[in-house]
Amino acid sequence: MLSFDLHKRKLLTAFLLLLFAWSLFGVNWQEGVLHSSGLGTAMEIFAAMFQPDLSADIIRLAVHSSWITLAYATAGISLALILALVFGILASGVLAGGKGSRKMMKGFFRGVLGFMRAIHELVWAWLFVASFGLTPYAAVFALAIPYGGILGRIFADMINDVPEEPIQALRAAGASRLQCLFYGYLPSVKASMISYTMYRYECAVRSSAIMSFVGLGGLGYQIQLSLDDLHYDEVWTFMYFLILLIILIDGWSNMLRKRMAL
Amino acid sequence: MSEQNMIEVNSIEKRYERKIALSSLSFVVKKGELVALIGPSGAGKTTLLNLLASLLEPDSGELKVDGKPLSQYADRRQRARKIGLIRQQFDLVGQLAVIHNVLAGRLAEWSLLKSFASLFIPQEKDKAVDALKRVGLEDKLYERTSNLSGGEQQRVALARLLMQKPEVILADEPVASLDPARSEDILAMLTGLAKQENQTVVASLHSVEYARKYFTRLIALKNGDIFFDLPSHQVTEQQLQELYQLKELN
Ligand SMILES: Nc1ncnc2c1ncn2[C@@H]1O[C@H](COP(=O)(O)OP(=O)(O)OP(=O)(O)O)[C@@H](O)[C@H]1O
Ligand SMILES: [Mg+2]
Repeated sequence: MLSFDLHKRKLLTAFLLLLFAWSLFGVNWQEGVLHSSGLGTAMEIFAAMFQPDLSADIIRLAVHSSWITLAYATAGISLALILALVFGILASGVLAGGKGSRKMMKGFFRGVLGFMRAIHELVWAWLFVASFGLTPYAAVFALAIPYGGILGRIFADMINDVPEEPIQALRAAGASRLQCLFYGYLPSVKASMISYTMYRYECAVRSSAIMSFVGLGGLGYQIQLSLDDLHYDEVWTFMYFLILLIILIDGWSNMLRKRMAL
Repeated sequence: MSEQNMIEVNSIEKRYERKIALSSLSFVVKKGELVALIGPSGAGKTTLLNLLASLLEPDSGELKVDGKPLSQYADRRQRARKIGLIRQQFDLVGQLAVIHNVLAGRLAEWSLLKSFASLFIPQEKDKAVDALKRVGLEDKLYERTSNLSGGEQQRVALARLLMQKPEVILADEPVASLDPARSEDILAMLTGLAKQENQTVVASLHSVEYARKYFTRLIALKNGDIFFDLPSHQVTEQQLQELYQLKELN
């Protein structure tokens, strides 16, 4: 039995390797992949990495764009967190009474969450920009919907993984389902929820930067403008600000986690 | 001691798929009795306690608590006043402070708003402090519960029961993972407090020694059936040997 399993796994590995090799042939290496002046430009960009433009004007612009990127990300993730809490708790099914209604509730709200995250934030951004125009709301909603879907799904799974015994004990002490939520489920998953949300916050900052390519302003937009003007030194200034944002959030998230571990 | 029937078990049966866990069991427990369930692993002790706690439904037969069928305790408040449960230490919410785990014993009586507010400003704090004093843990009020030792956690669970004040306490191996000194400490506390409040206790135990020392009556289960049901002092070594024997003598 074991040797058979091993055999199967080897077959699968071989199959995946073949698939990978085949995918390499799928790429047309001759044309389109490398720039005509390819290597030269790459060297220029690489060299600029060590000489970012630190003039007052660019720094001021970078600070302002970082602020916009961070503001969109923060508003987006906050809204996502609210959506995720509501839909995640509903999708976990712990509020439903009977077995049947629990199954229905789980199925329905997991479907909703699936729909929210099936569509990428950039696509949501296009849709919202197309329908409302270039407003901050477009960026915030475009972030909040897929991130809410992802967070909500993870929250639901976390809640479903809470051990049964303490919850049964609460029920035996006469707690209602909502009381079980506040005294059992949520305290048990709070730390992992915050930690995962902070990680997603980081991702939201990156997404928010990308989002600005759509024309919503922010770091990504500035990077694009500078790239178009071939000002690679400016590009790197903006990149470093982006990295700084991520590091700041990571530090904050570590601080939160330490405080919660007490 | 009053002669009121607290628990009536009338030929209940419980099957898991095709395996019979309990076969047509009957007994009566009077108010204030301290009953220990003993018997080998797989005898059906947990199943019986879970049936009494209505965590499981019997396939047939009747369970009455204080003269009323269990199925009629649909209201969680009524049920919590009647029946309380204590098991091994993973029964507590480890991430909550000790005080909230203790106050959870009051959830049946509290509105949702009050129980929510209590997580930020503990309500009826005096009662919780009192209960913790009685189990000797008043200095751990705001400690995170998972930081406590197994024995301390079991005392927190006892304090929660003190808040809940059920008339019947069901305990499934309440001292399974504790060292001998802690075990005796918890059992002495459990039975002592129950005597003070004239509560009825049904506890499953693996140690016959503790069962005889702290409980007034032993019900021995074997293969889902009652093997003997006697006052503690009447149980003989012979009977115990037969109870835990691996193979039947023929
Ligand atoms: N969920 C279940 N599904 C199937 N069979 C079960 C289940 N729970 C218990 N059983 C079976 O029912 C019988 C009684 O189990 P029970 O847990 O009540 O025994 P116990 O006396 O509590 O044993 P222990 O002392 O080991 O805790 C066992 O044979 C067990 O295998
Ligand atoms: Mg058991």
